[in-house]
Amino acid sequence: MLEKRSAPETHEPAAPLISVRGVSKSFGTNRVLKKIDLDVYPQEVVVIIGPSGSGKSTLLRCLNLLETVDEGEIVVDGVRLTDPKTDVDAVRRELGMVFQHFHLFPHMTVLENLILAPMKVRRRPRDAAVADARELLRKVGLADKEDAYPDALSGGQQQRVAIARALMMKPKAMLFDEPTSALDPEMVKEVLDVMKSLAREGMTMVVVTHEMGFAREVGDRVVFMDQGEIVEVGTPEAIFSRPQNPRTQTFLSKIL
Amino acid sequence: MLDLLDFRPEIIWNYRELFIRGVYYTFILSVAGVAIGLVIGLFAGMAKLSRRAWLRVPAVVYIEFFRGTPLFVQILLIHFAVLPTLLGKAQSPIVSGIVALAVNSGAYIAEIFRAGIQSIARGQMEAARSLGLSHAQAMRYVILPQALRRMIPPLGNEFLIVLKDSSLLSAIAVPELANAGRIVNGALQRPWEAFLTVLVLYLILSLVLSALIHRLEGRLSAGRSG
Repeated sequence: MLEKRSAPETHEPAAPLISVRGVSKSFGTNRVLKKIDLDVYPQEVVVIIGPSGSGKSTLLRCLNLLETVDEGEIVVDGVRLTDPKTDVDAVRRELGMVFQHFHLFPHMTVLENLILAPMKVRRRPRDAAVADARELLRKVGLADKEDAYPDALSGGQQQRVAIARALMMKPKAMLFDEPTSALDPEMVKEVLDVMKSLAREGMTMVVVTHEMGFAREVGDRVVFMDQGEIVEVGTPEAIFSRPQNPRTQTFLSKIL
Repeated sequence: MLDLLDFRPEIIWNYRELFIRGVYYTFILSVAGVAIGLVIGLFAGMAKLSRRAWLRVPAVVYIEFFRGTPLFVQILLIHFAVLPTLLGKAQSPIVSGIVALAVNSGAYIAEIFRAGIQSIARGQMEAARSLGLSHAQAMRYVILPQALRRMIPPLGNEFLIVLKDSSLLSAIAVPELANAGRIVNGALQRPWEAFLTVLVLYLILSLVLSALIHRLEGRLSAGRSG
């Protein structure tokens, strides 16, 4: 059930929060994204899967302009990212990003990691930011770690702090770039559990992952990418049980 | 050898005010030179990393010029040519000396900043930017605090080099330590008393400075995993 996305408004009542149209990108002569179209609607969880080198991480990084786009258009919450006049920082603060390798700030405590951006970007008073931080740390199960430095935490704990740090900006959507790929197996679940509870609360999420269980359970739609193209889009049920495209079938037969 | 056996410590005592003044000026000139050099180096180092050519090219030219030419000649050019031309009249040797040490050390410090900033993984900048921090905010709160810790040893090294190289300022009659030695020797023809004393005083200044830097290093690395 390859979706035809020429007129998304007709089959979804709300306007898409993130809209990608005809986006292409090359690194040198290597075309990593080829004419990508994708819409992400409010409160939707879109999971992007595919072999490594398929362009899925690059696509995610384009959504908050960590990578520039060669051609095409990306609109986030009504703002055209690809317009050179767009205030990039303003768009980025509406999109939380979680990285494979966490990227916590090692010279700051957990609490300082959380309150930096709200204080400097949103001009939130310190007391209010600290209160927000404590609430989020409780939510990710790390209330007792606020004074710890990142070095002293396990990978799973660091990634949960990174999620909390992104949530501090009260983003309209969260982008996850292989959030569990750098974790020891026993820590994957604690991070996925946090992501699941976020999804339940209605957070709009775009998740690049190799966790097919998560994709099946939490995803509203699964996007299969290969060689810079979106090969197939559908419900988890459709993609995992009845994949239409031979490339999707080959990929899934290798990993499931 | 006879001269050395005939070493007369009272000469040092008699000229103590000159030597003390020399230590004072050597210290002040080095501190001022490095302090201004740090500011120049910070901006030149960041400019060299900029994607914008109009920032990067001048920074590279500045750094290569001052690292690729002798400080001694830079001092002469700045004192006798650059400052009189720019400001309309010759400046005091002390002002010229501070300017020369600042622009020279600034070029080396720029490279220290550049290396320090580049040693912080790209992911730190991306994480900061993804939170909505501007490039300047990310530099100030995330990149530079981490880079500075790694820069303490090379910066300390640069400070020691400036302290010793400030002796070249005796060429434009700055009343620093080496100049004091030249005055004493000129007056008495006693090179052992004059120059050995100066060297020992440089050594003491260097050792005190290294000890201070070492302590600073220890304090900063201790704060890390608190």
